[in-house]
Amino acid sequence: MFEIDFNDSGEVVLSGRLDAAQAARAQSFLDGVEGPCVVDLAALDYISSAGLGVLLRTHKRLMAEQQGLELVNVNSHINDIFCYSGFDKLFVIRTV
Amino acid sequence: MIKKYQRSFDQISEIVADTERFFTDEKIDPALRMKVDLSLEELFVNMVNYNTETEQDIKIEMRPIEGGLEVSLTDYDVERFDPTLAGEVDINAPLTDRVPGGLGLYLVLKMADSIHYEYHDRKSKITFTNRTAAWEKGQDV
Repeated sequence: MFEIDFNDSGEVVLSGRLDAAQAARAQSFLDGVEGPCVVDLAALDYISSAGLGVLLRTHKRLMAEQQGLELVNVNSHINDIFCYSGFDKLFVIRTV
Repeated sequence: MIKKYQRSFDQISEIVADTERFFTDEKIDPALRMKVDLSLEELFVNMVNYNTETEQDIKIEMRPIEGGLEVSLTDYDVERFDPTLAGEVDINAPLTDRVPGGLGLYLVLKMADSIHYEYHDRKSKITFTNRTAAWEKGQDV
């Protein structure tokens, strides 16, 4: 189960499992987002390389205008994946 | 557990459900779930994406081993491609040089405790293991 939507503060909220089967839906949503953009990952249980690709593609698009994604409420499991992938050097990441 | 899956991303949710059931039935430490789910998905997706010449299902096998589990994925009618020889990813590259894609097998090689590749008769079998940190620590004593 994967969900993506805006919360009342205008942040993007991802929840559930962002895998290869859900990546296209996430990309379609994030293609409509303008920066700077905060992405709340508190309820994200899982992310694979397909999901990482969605975040990277969106971040690169927004950074072209010096406005990227800020990833907040990142749990330790997801943060491990970010660190293995070098995303900790590319994004502003705020862990739980 | 031995089961075959159609060559579709839609099968990922079923693989996840079957993995969860296997962990419960075999009392595998849940701490291994994230690593196993990630390696399973990346290897399955790689087979779906890069072997488009066949409609044969992909076989997944799981079995408990001391301290963890062993997982195998078998693909049929396929060219040789050894994922253990996948190139390194420069995770220190600046954003301008990073491109989406290419991280999947890299993450598998990081997540799995061991990975083995076999190829014969146009059949690829990839086997990986994951064991708990507690078991690994016990082996060091």
